[in-house]
Amino acid sequence: MMFDRAYRQRLEADLARWEADGVITPAVVAAIRIALPPLAPGINIAVVVAIVGGLLIAAAFLAFVAAHWIEIARLSRLAMLFAGILSAHGLGAWFARAGQPVLADLCAAVGAIIFGAAIALVGQMYHLGGDFAGGMLLWAIGALATAALTGSRGALAVALAAASIWSSMRVYETDVAHFAFAIPWLFAAGLALAWNSRVAAHLVALAVIPWWIASSFQGHLDFRPSFVLANGAALLFGGGLALAASPWPRAARAGSVLSTYGAFSLAGVAILEATMANEVFRIHAGDANRPLWTISCGVAGVILAFAATATTRRAGTAFAAGAIGLVLAAAVVLWTPRQLSEPWLAYAALLCAMLCLVVSGMLDAARPRIVAGWLGIAGVIAAITWAVKGSLLNRSIFLAVAGSFAVVLALMLNRFVPRSRE
Amino acid sequence: MMTMSVASLAERVARIPKFVLFGAAALVQLALLVLMIVDRAQILRDGTEVTLQTRPVDPRDFLRGDYVVLGYDITQLPAGSLQNQPSGERNPLVYVKLAPNRDGVYQALSVHAAPVDVASPEVLIRGRITYGASCGSNRDTFCEKLTVRYNLESYFVPEGEGRKLEDIRNQGKLSVVAAVLPSGRAAIKRLLIDGKPVYEEPLF
Repeated sequence: MMFDRAYRQRLEADLARWEADGVITPAVVAAIRIALPPLAPGINIAVVVAIVGGLLIAAAFLAFVAAHWIEIARLSRLAMLFAGILSAHGLGAWFARAGQPVLADLCAAVGAIIFGAAIALVGQMYHLGGDFAGGMLLWAIGALATAALTGSRGALAVALAAASIWSSMRVYETDVAHFAFAIPWLFAAGLALAWNSRVAAHLVALAVIPWWIASSFQGHLDFRPSFVLANGAALLFGGGLALAASPWPRAARAGSVLSTYGAFSLAGVAILEATMANEVFRIHAGDANRPLWTISCGVAGVILAFAATATTRRAGTAFAAGAIGLVLAAAVVLWTPRQLSEPWLAYAALLCAMLCLVVSGMLDAARPRIVAGWLGIAGVIAAITWAVKGSLLNRSIFLAVAGSFAVVLALMLNRFVPRSRE
Repeated sequence: MMTMSVASLAERVARIPKFVLFGAAALVQLALLVLMIVDRAQILRDGTEVTLQTRPVDPRDFLRGDYVVLGYDITQLPAGSLQNQPSGERNPLVYVKLAPNRDGVYQALSVHAAPVDVASPEVLIRGRITYGASCGSNRDTFCEKLTVRYNLESYFVPEGEGRKLEDIRNQGKLSVVAAVLPSGRAAIKRLLIDGKPVYEEPLF
């Protein structure tokens, strides 16, 4: 919605300039303006202030109920909570009918937040302090139902946040990956597709990240989260690319969002891998412990990326698949237990992977991927250069060799690849 | 096929009046809250009454807001036959067999990783291990001593009464009557000072 507005402003400026330059006639300008669909009502300053006001009122309401719980009888307090939920949704329905979708969305989100707080307050009132994670699951279910029924992106954000906390707490309790998170996540992904909403796709993609981080910090993995995270980023990126190659436009749009998060995750993992290879962390490298499900995710990511390449026949996607493969290869090298020498091969693989990411973004015209690749390159070089003791000379030789290789490659490309017109 | 069905489902939902959809969302949330309350009321109504002796807890953890943290004689237990057995996870569920002593206060007889049969007046209560399930070289076996939570550890009291209750608890005069279902789930039913009821929990 926001980008649509920016595009219109740019288009208006261009139309005025082209008309002044005599490139197009006033009749064509008028025809273009008529052909454009009307802009959806956006978020203006009044709506922003209303959003802040709504959130403050919800917070005040909850603090009031919590603070006065001695003076007010338990059932009355309960009735107040119920009234809060009903009012939020009633107001939401009213705004929806009045053609104010943003405010309706906000009301449903506030309703979902009040519901979460109501769970906490009911827990207090009835001395149900025990299972915090269970409360989070209940919150996620209620908020997800609200999102499904009202189409509220805000309620979806609340649901995914609650589900992430639930899942992270369960990982901490059980010390194994919590696959049950896939149920609310897939439901949310289904909603994003059904709504054909970019915002919802962003939320769904974002919700993957805390799950993978929680899964990577299991005690028995010996403080080496980068291996698990590399496989997670591979699946997110590969899955996103495969979805983006789908013939169904809704899935393709959601897939491009997923692949953007996948590209940034891959760059983040590359930096983490290069950092964790440092002497400081090497003492923690215990016996290799690679859960099979993790490796399967990585392999699936690579296969999906290459399947997307086969479908689209685009070189950019092939480079992206190469980047995934190289980061995974580096992860395998770095995971080798009790490695004594500097992992030069892994460093080279990580640098190549990030270069592939930039090239892939350029060929596919995917700007976020280019940004992710450049950030990855900068981060990996910084991590390689950052040495605590001893090996700075070796690192400088490695960086000089890598740099010279890149310059030679650039010269060859300059000679053999036809340059595009500026 | 699936893509069409998702799109058509979204269109169908869009055709339902907004008041119905928002109303249904509110009802789902209210139903979940009611479920929480009814579930606890069922424990109070149907559960076997078990009197438990409280004991002082770490003073830094006493009072958060207006609730008293309750520790029990059955909170810290010897693992017995569970010691060195695989625990499976960091905070596994366990079942503690309780039996009343001569004063009618229930005490722990044994701890089990799965439900076991009990004969009246014995009661089986379910708890979750907070400390004591990460021993051994792989940190995955039960330790010698276990700390167990039974969902009976927080009791919210009117403002100002928390400190008083803490003092009484620290003198060993506070006991709790819990209701325990055959499944082992428990809820606080009433608080006793010197054996006399002071707080009675209503069902709703």
